Amino acid sequence: MTDAARQNPSQITPDAVAASLARGDGGIGREQHSYDQHPVLRKAHWRWEIIWYFYVGGLMSGNALLAAAADTFGDEHDRAVVRIGRWLAFLGAAASPVFLIKDLGRPERFLNMTRILKLKSPMSVGVWSLIAFSGFSAIAALEETAGRGRVPWFLGGALPRGARNLFHVLAASFTGSYTGVLISATAIPVWNAGRRQIPAIFVCSAIATSCAAQAAILAVTGGSPSTINKLERVEFVAALAEGALLVDYASSAESAGKALFGGAIGDRLRGSTLIGGIAVPALLNLASLFTKPGHAGKRNVVKTLVAAGLTLYGGFVLRRSLIAAGRASADDPRAALRHPE
Amino acid sequence: MSEWGLFTDATLCIGCKACEAACKQWNELPADGYALSGNSYDNTGPLSATTWRHVQFVEQFDRLNPSESRWLMLSDVCKHCTHAGCLEACPTGAIVRNEFGAVYVQPDVCNGCGYCVPSCPFGVIAVEPNRGVAQKCTLCYDRQKDGLEPACAKACPTDSIQFGPVEELKERARRRTEELLARNVPARLYGVDETTSVGDLNAFFLITDRPEVFNLPPAPVLPSTYQPVAYLSGFLATAALAIVAMQAFRSR
Repeated sequence: MTDAARQNPSQITPDAVAASLARGDGGIGREQHSYDQHPVLRKAHWRWEIIWYFYVGGLMSGNALLAAAADTFGDEHDRAVVRIGRWLAFLGAAASPVFLIKDLGRPERFLNMTRILKLKSPMSVGVWSLIAFSGFSAIAALEETAGRGRVPWFLGGALPRGARNLFHVLAASFTGSYTGVLISATAIPVWNAGRRQIPAIFVCSAIATSCAAQAAILAVTGGSPSTINKLERVEFVAALAEGALLVDYASSAESAGKALFGGAIGDRLRGSTLIGGIAVPALLNLASLFTKPGHAGKRNVVKTLVAAGLTLYGGFVLRRSLIAAGRASADDPRAALRHPE
Repeated sequence: MSEWGLFTDATLCIGCKACEAACKQWNELPADGYALSGNSYDNTGPLSATTWRHVQFVEQFDRLNPSESRWLMLSDVCKHCTHAGCLEACPTGAIVRNEFGAVYVQPDVCNGCGYCVPSCPFGVIAVEPNRGVAQKCTLCYDRQKDGLEPACAKACPTDSIQFGPVEELKERARRRTEELLARNVPARLYGVDETTSVGDLNAFFLITDRPEVFNLPPAPVLPSTYQPVAYLSGFLATAALAIVAMQAFRSR
């Protein structure tokens, strides 16, 4: 039925009713797109614990990656990155299970997660990946405390340092990106519309926020300017990639993206993540790109702290927005009832 | 053993809600309050952890052509999919396919992680806040073990809900559809001979309008089909940024 006919009932002719019946809307003079606008999908109960887990999970895996990269390719100044990175990874790995267990409907049954390993379930693979990551992070933190070559053989001490770094990096990579797969591979329209971008966005944000955390700690503790310069270069690339992926997500998600990019959630995401957490820190870090690490002078501590703080806050808002958008999307029947393209 | 399922024929539903009451009673599900929705006779609300049958009342009234008006009723229920999103998502193995072919949540194994909830393309399963575990229609597993039909099918006074071996029910449903089409009733089956990634539904429906009118997704997608591209996305980003970090720490 046309809009004109809907507004002016006198235009409802027997022909229009017949056409309407043929279309299947029962001749009621209006198209029914859902059952009285009731939500089609149920939403996950996930609360603040999951938002913080996604955030801490990014920070700990990003820090593990930076620590391994600095350990393998860095100079003696970059040892600080290895030390801070390994400790932050260990602290994150210690905090993560607390968030995850607290969020369960039956926390005392958390060990049921380890009954099976199910490759089809990102939640199951993620739990095992987190367990592996925690183990490797604990060994790496132990090495920082006890000193190199002091890792007991049964904890991998017999393995070459490179192999231990590799295992840590592999577990970190998976732990940092599976959360993106976890929400992408659901029936929630706004999440599965971003399946090409969300996991990559999580990885980029993990690296950017980790660089920011490291740079902030180094700036305050009087770390080497060349090391801070290197971190800011990595952060610049990661943040720019994150921004580009977010823009790509927004433009390809079509109507399903409204839950994330429209309304108050979208305004927050644009203001705090895209502009505040990506564009502004990138501008502040721009100078580092044109200075070679070896020639970097003393950094402006305030500038580094502002850039780091904005990046860290933007990364948090990103996760919070995605979880909130998932709820809004589940409540929108139009997105769930769309016909295939 | 053959698979058993439910055939819900909307053309026979009179909206008495006996299925809802029988389901609540047999499964000892708590009441959901007494709020009036203002939506026709539907004060039940959608399927939830404590509502496993839900009779919908679709009003298609046209005051200018009262003779063409329709009041459609359909008792919604868990579909017990061939490829179930909830079952694939469950990390504890609490959700299983039982010997009757139904998708069943073992309440003593579920730890309430909630991942099955957004993984159901039909919005059926939910976590019950008081018990802290995911709940949905069991296809009356306990009754089936004793050779009884599910409570909803038993209570339905018009046989709008029929229980039986799935293949037999499908044959019956196809015959019923042909019969209705011959009488110019726009009947179609939902959940039979499907080509979607979810596959056929062990609890399927005969409806007389487009699926979305009953909040049934016209093209349900099994969420795990999104996984390969998502894993690839994370892997490529990690590899690219690892190279960036390597180069940065190498530079002097």
